[in-house]
Amino acid sequence: MIELERVARHYRLGAMTVKALDGVDLRVAPGEFVVVLGPSGSGKTTLLNLIGALDTPSDGRIRVAGRELTGASRGELARFRRGTVSFIFQTFNLFPGLTALENVQFGADVTGKRRARELAAEVLEQVGLGLRMGHFPNALSGGEQQRVAIARALATRNPVLLADEPTGELDFRTGVAILELLRTQADGERTVLVVTHNREISRAADRVVELSSGRVVADGPPRAGRAPIAELHW
Amino acid sequence: MAARFWLRWSWRDLRERWLQVVVIALTIGLGTGTYAGLGSTSVWRRDANDASYAALHMFDLRVRLAPGAFAAAGRLADLVGRVDHAGAIESAEERLILPTGVDASGASSDALTILVPGRIVGVPVGNGLPRVGAFDVRAGHGLTGADAGEAVGLPEYHFAEHYGLPPEGAIRLSGGARLDYVGQVLTPEYFLVTTERGGLMAEANFAAVFVPLDTAQALSGHAGQVNDLVLTLAGGADRAVVQGEIERALATEAPGLGATVETREDDQAYHVLYQDIEGDQQFWNLFAALILAGATLAAFNLTSRIVEAQRREIGIAMGLGLPGTAIAVRPLLVGAQIALLGIVFGVAVGLLIGEAMRRLLEELVPLPAWSAPFQPRVFAEGAALGFFLPFAATIYPVWRALRVAPVEAIRTGYLAARGGGLASVARRWRLPGNTFGRMPFRNVLRTPRRTLLTALGIAAAATVLVGTAGMLDSFFVTIDRGEAEVLRGAPDRLTVDLDGFAPAERAVALVREPGVVDEVEPALRVGGTLVSGGTELDVSIELLDLAGGFWRPTVTQGDATGGSGGIIVAEKAARDLGVRVGDEVTVRHPRRVGEAGFETVEDRLVVAGLHANPLRFLAFMDLGSAGLMGLAGAANVVYVTPAPGVSTDEVKRALFAQPGVASVQPVGSTARVFRDLIDDFLGILGIVQLAVVGLALLIAFNSASISADERARENATMFAFGVPVRTVLRMAVVEGLVIGLIGTVVGLGLGRIVLQWLVDVLLPGTIPDITVSIALSAETFAKAFGMGVVAVGLAPLLTARRLMRMDVPSTLRVVE
Repeated sequence: MIELERVARHYRLGAMTVKALDGVDLRVAPGEFVVVLGPSGSGKTTLLNLIGALDTPSDGRIRVAGRELTGASRGELARFRRGTVSFIFQTFNLFPGLTALENVQFGADVTGKRRARELAAEVLEQVGLGLRMGHFPNALSGGEQQRVAIARALATRNPVLLADEPTGELDFRTGVAILELLRTQADGERTVLVVTHNREISRAADRVVELSSGRVVADGPPRAGRAPIAELHW
Repeated sequence: MAARFWLRWSWRDLRERWLQVVVIALTIGLGTGTYAGLGSTSVWRRDANDASYAALHMFDLRVRLAPGAFAAAGRLADLVGRVDHAGAIESAEERLILPTGVDASGASSDALTILVPGRIVGVPVGNGLPRVGAFDVRAGHGLTGADAGEAVGLPEYHFAEHYGLPPEGAIRLSGGARLDYVGQVLTPEYFLVTTERGGLMAEANFAAVFVPLDTAQALSGHAGQVNDLVLTLAGGADRAVVQGEIERALATEAPGLGATVETREDDQAYHVLYQDIEGDQQFWNLFAALILAGATLAAFNLTSRIVEAQRREIGIAMGLGLPGTAIAVRPLLVGAQIALLGIVFGVAVGLLIGEAMRRLLEELVPLPAWSAPFQPRVFAEGAALGFFLPFAATIYPVWRALRVAPVEAIRTGYLAARGGGLASVARRWRLPGNTFGRMPFRNVLRTPRRTLLTALGIAAAATVLVGTAGMLDSFFVTIDRGEAEVLRGAPDRLTVDLDGFAPAERAVALVREPGVVDEVEPALRVGGTLVSGGTELDVSIELLDLAGGFWRPTVTQGDATGGSGGIIVAEKAARDLGVRVGDEVTVRHPRRVGEAGFETVEDRLVVAGLHANPLRFLAFMDLGSAGLMGLAGAANVVYVTPAPGVSTDEVKRALFAQPGVASVQPVGSTARVFRDLIDDFLGILGIVQLAVVGLALLIAFNSASISADERARENATMFAFGVPVRTVLRMAVVEGLVIGLIGTVVGLGLGRIVLQWLVDVLLPGTIPDITVSIALSAETFAKAFGMGVVAVGLAPLLTARRLMRMDVPSTLRVVE
């Protein structure tokens, strides 16, 4: 599903060159629930942006869902994002002028789904917000907003879900619930990639990719094995 | 912390958003500068009038004899020289003034046919004369003592300039007399060319020609006679006393001359030039205030949005324990500096507008003295508002930010998560289409304050545009109405003005002689005054064959034949006098005494009907009532239609050569005079409209630019989901169109109210003689929508480059 080959991303900061990613190789299979773990500045968000075609690598090759992203034009990258990946952000980034249902419908509309409204309502029901459809983001709690953000991503029906610190703004209990929701989305067709600096979250993953200074320093199942989400605490 | 620290930081804030800062400052500058420029016109005009009238010695008193009355040269001067306070008279000069027609076709290099009514003004020349109503020679040279008795003259400058006549040349007068002219002159009584038919700025249709007194007497066959005296008084003289003494002397010593003593305020050009100043200033003040209001609203809106964007930094400062007053310093400094920069721009805009207005005014009313110095007091008024409102705009968001708990202010997504404005109201409105179609409308409702302020800025601009363009529409519709009325039935009718009263049969024979006319109808035209309930209105009374003539006025109420000895007046005249059909009104009019004398008498006449012409000064009576004026069987006007196959120009030329014919004009020429007048004002209104369009564009651009900043995260989110730039732009355009449409519709409504006020309240004071019909043309609507909707709607396209270059990952990470 996701293939990265010797991917590097360098930034110029004045006279300095910052190596956000430096020769990363990564393969993620369909249906995997992968957590990318690392401290601040390790390059995990850069990795997510590259996989999500929000950014382009300085070097190396990226293939997602069979599409070559390296050298793709701006328009091709936008089409790729529309049809392949969906983002969930730490700060939710819901559209404040749209209701919960409409925010989710946006996801369906982007991908040109028919009966987008019905699909959005269905997905909102799935994430447990069937009774909050008509509410605007400002009337929802942080957890509810993140559920709406997840529902928006799900409504695209795209095969890759990319979540950047999805529990960063939430309390423990809500964070667990969101994680559970994300975990259940990884199935045979959909791959879920979660970026976090929280090692506890990585315990719930099938696989943990650990980054440090732009390099993959570990890649495999959680050290102590995959833990049920109910056992997590932070 | 040191003031320098905060100042430096605020400069960085300004530099970071320099384009928006400059645009806001320009908006303030446009508002304050336009306010200063438009608000200063009354001072400029009054100063220019005072200096110009003083420089050319406008008369203080003028003695006019009744039409057709003459006095022996020296008699009038002798008479005024013997009044008790004759010592107060500084200069007294006799003149001979007679109507004529002027043919300047030969002088024109463009081979134009220039045949217009006018007058010969015979004045003393040589040794610095004329001193009263002196000449400002604009081209060629003036008259000298050697010119006395010679066929030499000076056409009035406005007429010569209008037709582009060379400095020297030759013209012909009625009856075919040739006159060489040696220059072109401005003189006080013609600072504004007026006609007795109500024309203002009538240079296209009226030519005064100044000649030596002897020449005028020779040309007109009035050797040794005069009919006019102008005099100036020494400083400190009591004009009313001298006027009274002269009136009494004339009444006792020369009762048959029908003489009236006028002051300079009675001079139509003088009256209009001064009286119009205040009325015009009210007009400009209204538009200046609206433009300033639009600019300050926009500046208020935009400045507060810039400061609001610092909310998180304010929260951080609160978190660091900085007192509120210290936190407020930086955003307040930002607001103050934007406002100050706006005022600096305002001075520049004010000077530019002042210079443009001066040039246009000078072109419109050429005077010997014109200047348009910057008026600090007027500017200070505008600048105070221009400074205070944008500055106040910074206080509000700072105050709001300081009320929020620091933790909330710092929290990422706080702005996005807070209230949705009126969006919840629209929750149940199922707009068609997908979320992309719905989002622009929701965004408009989500930020009602911002929407309202932006829309009000656009509305103010649209109001001014509709008000100014609507004025022109209304004038043109009124002129069309008047023109349709006079052209009705006999559109090719011509008015032949005679140079005096003549037996009607002789007048008819005179115009029939060249064989160029078909129908002929003799008529009389005399000046008069309608008096009722303390109100007096000057009118031009036309005595026509109301029963069988080939043109009669449309009578909207009453008897179209004028009843027996009644008078038909304009609807507005009846309204202003407070009379209705069947009521009696006092008519003050001249009555012939003997062969050449006139006296002014009053008669009570029944208002027999009301006519449809918008010109209030037109009144009609049946020719059968001419006996009231002692003019039974006489005519001084003949209406004619061209004979089959003869053109209007041919009729004009043929009749112009007839002795006794003063002028020949198509009946629609009055409408042309008014059209020319309005055309002259288009330039000035153009400045206002330019300022307004500039204001709307600045508002639109800055609003779009700041919106793009504020929506950066939303836009980045959309890009993250693969929404193309064109879709994001389309949503911004739709949002702009909605706001622009709201602003324009409000502006159209307010503009219509302003227009109503102008027509109902302002115009009756400035042009009381015309009933202006309110009208808004399709072009005005198109202009308003073009400016308000299209320009505002398309402004977001200017942010396309920024959207295309957006660093999406960084923007997604950036906290509002």
